Amino acid sequence: MIRAVAVVAILALGVGRVFADPESDADAAFRVAQARATAGDPGALDALEALGRARPVTRWTDDAWAAAARLAERAGDLGRARADLAQVVTTAEDDITRHRAEAALARLAATAGDHGQWDQVVVRHDALVAQILGGAGDPKPAIRELEALVRDHPDYPGATAARLAIAQGWERDGDPAAAVEILEQAIAAAPTPVLRARARYAAFRAWLHVRELDAASADLDAIAASAGADPLVVGQLADDLAVARLRARVRHGVWILLALLGALGIWRARSDAPSWRAVGRALVRPPIEVWYLAPVMLVLALIAQGGNPMVARALRAIALCGVAFAWLSGVSLRLAATRGPLRARRVALHVVAIVAAGVGVAFLVVDRDRMIDLLVETWRSGPALP
Amino acid sequence: MRNFVLLLAVTACVTACVRGNPDGGADAAFDVNGGTLAVPGCGYSVTTYAGAEAPAVATQTFGTDPTPMQVHLGLVGDAKTSIVAQWRTKDEATRATTIRIGVGSHLAVPALTDVRTGITFAYRSTGAEVYRMHQAHLCGLAAGTTYSYQVGSIDLAGAEHFSPVYTFHTAPDVVAHPDAQVVFAFVGDSRGGYDVWQQLVDQIAQRTPDLVLFSGDAVTVGITQLEWEDFFTRAEPLFATVPVIAANGNHEYNAINYYAQMALPGDQQNFGVDYGFAHVTVGNDTPDDPMALTGTFHDAIAADFTASDSARWKLFMHHQPIFSASTKHGSSLTLQQAWQPMVDAHHIDLVLNGHDHDFEITKPMIGMAVQNGAAAANATVYVVAGGAGAELYPNGTQFWTAYSESTYSAAIINISHAQLTLDAFHPDGTPISNGSFSKSRP
Repeated sequence: MIRAVAVVAILALGVGRVFADPESDADAAFRVAQARATAGDPGALDALEALGRARPVTRWTDDAWAAAARLAERAGDLGRARADLAQVVTTAEDDITRHRAEAALARLAATAGDHGQWDQVVVRHDALVAQILGGAGDPKPAIRELEALVRDHPDYPGATAARLAIAQGWERDGDPAAAVEILEQAIAAAPTPVLRARARYAAFRAWLHVRELDAASADLDAIAASAGADPLVVGQLADDLAVARLRARVRHGVWILLALLGALGIWRARSDAPSWRAVGRALVRPPIEVWYLAPVMLVLALIAQGGNPMVARALRAIALCGVAFAWLSGVSLRLAATRGPLRARRVALHVVAIVAAGVGVAFLVVDRDRMIDLLVETWRSGPALP
Repeated sequence: MRNFVLLLAVTACVTACVRGNPDGGADAAFDVNGGTLAVPGCGYSVTTYAGAEAPAVATQTFGTDPTPMQVHLGLVGDAKTSIVAQWRTKDEATRATTIRIGVGSHLAVPALTDVRTGITFAYRSTGAEVYRMHQAHLCGLAAGTTYSYQVGSIDLAGAEHFSPVYTFHTAPDVVAHPDAQVVFAFVGDSRGGYDVWQQLVDQIAQRTPDLVLFSGDAVTVGITQLEWEDFFTRAEPLFATVPVIAANGNHEYNAINYYAQMALPGDQQNFGVDYGFAHVTVGNDTPDDPMALTGTFHDAIAADFTASDSARWKLFMHHQPIFSASTKHGSSLTLQQAWQPMVDAHHIDLVLNGHDHDFEITKPMIGMAVQNGAAAANATVYVVAGGAGAELYPNGTQFWTAYSESTYSAAIINISHAQLTLDAFHPDGTPISNGSFSKSRP
């Protein structure tokens, strides 16, 4: 009896083996492994590689190796990713999959070297860039570590990219001088004209952001004269510089105008009042315009608070300046009125001066956070949506 | 001052000439009313809009320099069996439009034995300047197959004016190949930052996508052809080998330049494309008539969602984000009301946007609620990757934000039957470490 059962069992196993569908089994195993990968299961990589190694070869073999390579690269294990990709090249059942794996190998070789000699540096570089550009805390330790990494590995193929990330980090951290310094290093050390040009573009933009226009101009000249400079980009940068220069001129003009109007206002107030003490006394008492304008401005500023923070900040500043101008304007007119009825010419000049000061201050405010670009864009494109 | 005057002039032109509508101009024979041409052997038609002449089968007419430039691929028909090669020539008078193709990658010119004639049409956006497009619609191709091709013409003296030989491949047939995987590159908002755009093009090309999804704002002013030249010239190494489908951005202004240079399915505004196990729906969220957002455009998108309900993975690309924590534009409340309910109803897996020049990926969302656990399977993840070159905007964090970063970026989306993954990266290739997303389906 036992012998008969054993024979039946062996026969059943044999028949099962004959009718097994390796493609279907591999499909199921591949899905399970991918679901494990999605769930963040660290064993998914092993499962995919096991599927790649399993025989017979199925249509899922190359896919399993490719998925394993992606997971390994994402996990920072570049050596394993390379090995998995090599398996894809060997087992790929179509040109497209093979070409994709070869391209991925070429990409890894370009960043980490032909034999993976820079693997550890690449992984650390990636992690530090993530901390510098995406981290929530103080980026300085990561920036300094990346600086040290580049210093310690001068031949690292990703050194220029790392220096650009460092510069970006310093700039965001409010130290444009450090950004420019590292960009100068990047320009000097860039191994190819393309990378050098890229570093120069970044340096130009850094100068522009800190409003060092002469330095930006010198950089632009160097860019234009350098090998590998892209004429389209050079033209674009020249336009940016021209706009920045125009805005700088307007900014200077506004400051001069405000200074002149301030001096004129003080002079007029003193001429209209019997003494400096009387001017002071008049300034302490808010004129009627302020009582009207201040609540309006307060409401506007509060409403803006709920929207775009950049617009809210600008509106706060404009509201504050508006109230201050209304105050000074009211006091000035009240002092002038003590000397008799105001003449139309005086009132007209007063209005022109106040309007000019208001427009000037509004320009300075929107120019400060480069909100002027948003306004220009809105002017050119209309509101984002109706 | 000169720039300011130029800006004013451009602005005036924008308001006056949006969507073509040029004057009669120097070329009185130039008919700008558009038209339709049935493409032989493809089973679909090509329609041009106001500002362009009707498409016509190419003739043996040559200008001073018929050298092809800005070669790029598009999709109008079935991605498994068709593709469109598009280009311009250095002169605008050449009408000859020829493509040579052969099966296989990186073939030598003598192996490109299949020679076909394409179509051509001219368009004019501002002033009297006329630009000419050449299109070769290749239909009847084999699925999942690599082809080599070159475009151009042979002039009357027998001189050849052809592009380099490029390769492309068609979409896989997922019925015959259930293991097929496809790779999409997703990127948008290159306008005004073409050095970054160039870097991203290089990085994307290294990742060998099957299809490029461009979420709009390729240029700052859609009617400025010069900008389009920058955009396409830089992208040629990528776009000549990988088809691109795009969404109209607010900076394209629905300009004729956009519609003339991008071969896209249907009305080129709201359409769907099947590629591998994915269905990609594209919407125009900046229509000429704003009422269309809740009217005809809404209905067209809903119809495409319904028609593709059985698709394994569903992606929806348009320009302005439904969810964005950036402090520049932020979420479009209009689109949240107009389009998000149908996104939720059809369980779209991924919504791809630009407009805000940063990177942001949300948690799985239905309505205004974050979904966790099993409920996330039917929820939608929204991705903003509007950093292809345009000046960066500040990022932000809201309750829906899984990760955001003020950075230039692009993303690679891998899609197989069982899994969809997205991995974002910076222009230098370094990964955005928290910019990954993955979803599995049994």
